Amino acid sequence: MEQAALALEMLDITKTFPGVQALDAVSFGCARGEVHALCGENGAGKSTLIKVLGGVYRPDGGTIRLDGREVAFSHPIVARRAGISIIHQELSLLPQRSVAENIFLGVEPTRFGILDRRTMRDEAGRLLRRLGSSIAPASLAGDLSIAHQQIVEIAKALAIDARILVMDEPTAALDRVDAGRLLDLVRKVSAEGVTIVYISHRMVEIQAVADRVTVLKDGRTVMTTTLAEAPTGRLVRAMVGRDLADFYPPRSSLPPGPPTLNVRGAANGQLHDVSFEVRAGEIVGVAGLEGSGKDALARALIGDEPFEVEAMEICGRAAKPGHPRAAIQAGIGRLSDDRKREGLLMQQSVRDNATLIERAFAPALRSPTAEPMSPQSTDKRLIQLDVRAASFEQEAQFLSGGNQQKVIIARWLARDPEIFIFCEPTRGVDVAAKAAIYQIMRDLARRGRAILMISSDLPEIIGVSDRILIMREGTLAGELPGGATEEEVMAIAVAHDREPHAMAS
Amino acid sequence: MTVAIQGGRERARAVALVRRVNFAVVVFLALYVAVGLLQPNYLEPAGAMNFLRRAAPLAILASGQLFVLISGGFDLSVGSLVTLTVIGGSMLTANDPSKTWSTIAALYAIGLFVGLINGAVVAYLKTPSIIATLGTLLSVNGAAMMWSGGSPRGYLPDNFRMFGRFVFHDVPVIGIFPLAVAVLVAVCALAQWGLHGTVFGRRVLAVGDNPRAAELAGVRVEFVRLGVFVISALSAVTAGVMLGGFGGVSVDVGRGLELQAIAACVVGGVQLLGGRGTVVGAVAGALTLTALFALLTLLGLPQPLKDTAQGFILIAAVAIGAWRRRRAV
Repeated sequence: MEQAALALEMLDITKTFPGVQALDAVSFGCARGEVHALCGENGAGKSTLIKVLGGVYRPDGGTIRLDGREVAFSHPIVARRAGISIIHQELSLLPQRSVAENIFLGVEPTRFGILDRRTMRDEAGRLLRRLGSSIAPASLAGDLSIAHQQIVEIAKALAIDARILVMDEPTAALDRVDAGRLLDLVRKVSAEGVTIVYISHRMVEIQAVADRVTVLKDGRTVMTTTLAEAPTGRLVRAMVGRDLADFYPPRSSLPPGPPTLNVRGAANGQLHDVSFEVRAGEIVGVAGLEGSGKDALARALIGDEPFEVEAMEICGRAAKPGHPRAAIQAGIGRLSDDRKREGLLMQQSVRDNATLIERAFAPALRSPTAEPMSPQSTDKRLIQLDVRAASFEQEAQFLSGGNQQKVIIARWLARDPEIFIFCEPTRGVDVAAKAAIYQIMRDLARRGRAILMISSDLPEIIGVSDRILIMREGTLAGELPGGATEEEVMAIAVAHDREPHAMAS
Repeated sequence: MTVAIQGGRERARAVALVRRVNFAVVVFLALYVAVGLLQPNYLEPAGAMNFLRRAAPLAILASGQLFVLISGGFDLSVGSLVTLTVIGGSMLTANDPSKTWSTIAALYAIGLFVGLINGAVVAYLKTPSIIATLGTLLSVNGAAMMWSGGSPRGYLPDNFRMFGRFVFHDVPVIGIFPLAVAVLVAVCALAQWGLHGTVFGRRVLAVGDNPRAAELAGVRVEFVRLGVFVISALSAVTAGVMLGGFGGVSVDVGRGLELQAIAACVVGGVQLLGGRGTVVGAVAGALTLTALFALLTLLGLPQPLKDTAQGFILIAAVAIGAWRRRRAV
């Protein structure tokens, strides 16, 4: 490919943070209209590279060229003006503003210096139709589903005539149907000549949408290749440096023990008639579309939004957690699906994060490093989980997603509850950390803990669970054994009849 | 791996130390030297002790305010609580030295009550603390005025004023040692222990960092909020008792002290909105502000100009704090 033909070229980009070489002479180029996937484990340098491209970080060395012209971005606005648009994983729409206002944020059309609302609305509608969407430009952004908000983000990029569109895990929060639609949209936009840098952990998507792929590992470019030459196995090997044949740990051969959690006839605003049990040593997966009630179930179990039950027993004792602290006392631990908002203390150290629960229950005037909160015990758990940090005194915000997740797991291991609820345990986590987290779950089950895994990731549900519960419209719609096919799960999850499916044995 | 962790640990510790402490301490020392150059007796032990005595009320207020700030709140009511303490002291003792001790106990009870009100309004009524304590500020000020009939005069009994005025003489090395400095040291040690040496302190940091995560991990966020406002209120009563010894009884003893205490914390690197801060920083911040006031006075600036300068310096402190944090990323 000729130099001049490249829409984007990043050459020998280097960036160092205190104690970490985040990028080490990374080079990366995209042709016009290309969909270029960027893969790598968490901490491989993807986000840093994107922040350099977006003008958030200034590189220590290296060159960025757009259409062959060298550029240097001193500020995100400069990058945006140069035609680079970045859609972050956490969407950045203003929830209280209309779709049209969001699309033209900062580039509002004016007439005689006055905001031209009509043009703005019409143009927004035109952009959205171009994307094949019927979202009303006047609706509030906050009222839209995540999938629709994604579309508005893309329209926002088109509104500034972005030539380079970076999408950071755009499908992470979408269900399968919406994710498929989004991929169609990516193809459509790239066909219009927009260059797309597509970051994702999902190999299936990369195979489906990307022309070429660049793999980063430990801040270096490992390879750049066309997708045709890179089967998934080879990509995974490049990312983690080893095969992941045993990606999902083997299921236990032992029969499960007595029921640890037994719920009968649970109901609240979002749930009705929910009855199930989880046995000791068992991993039960809960699948369902967005809004099916699987997230509400987790919140209800930990007493965050409690439900009314006919009966609920934990290890044979009646329990009905009315708030999170009571749930923990009753023996329930939960890994939240939103570790930033509900899990981490971003500015506290790894150790402080890993001891939070013990400290919540210790006497108020006890030393914060008394057993079992001592650095020795805490570090042992962190090391056992293979948490990678420059130091365990480092603030949690500087860890990669997989390591952050492990720190929260360490926090719960210290408490060692009878029941672990894992909500989206591997969302935004790289392949190697994923395998590690599955192994941790399996180890917990082997030690006789009961595990409920609530997930939107079907391969994960199928690969890890011993049994699969499928939720639909606020109740359990069916049950399948582990190893069922995605089609079987989806058939129950999307069925339209109101009759509950016969429970498989 | 182990080596990397060791090296990283030392480095992180050094970085943390530099980032948290040095700034306020360095600024304070620089200012104090400047003050000493203008007025050499500040550099003598007696001068330094006197300086610490004058700085004590603000430093005590700052160590209490620190807990509220770290938990992610503000306590604007402390200045008015200082006023109430002084006026209440004068009304309850009514010039009778034998009532001093019972009066001080009553004043702490009042402080406890105000702290609990602040904490309860913030924790259970979910009112933003800046609004809740602004309300308390007005109510407490009003209560002080009503109690005193609007024009309090005179002085507190001598044994009450002791905490602000009494000085041990002929102390080896330093010459004099004011009781106020002893109280200051005790309060600082208590705050240091409470914030950095107890589980409660870590809960305060956790709530300030991410209240939702703390709640889901089992922290009783409401109790923590009650606790920090009580601590702040008790520190205000302590500062009030001390200030009652400094001068006469008036309705504006405590005016503006809440902002000075917050300012002291900010200068000391405490993060507004919570999650970050140290006792050393807060106290160093209070000393810095006191040295600054002394410097401005020595330079002969009129009061309005001093206020203006103080405002600019505050903004600069916050801006520098934000800049240092940004650069750290």
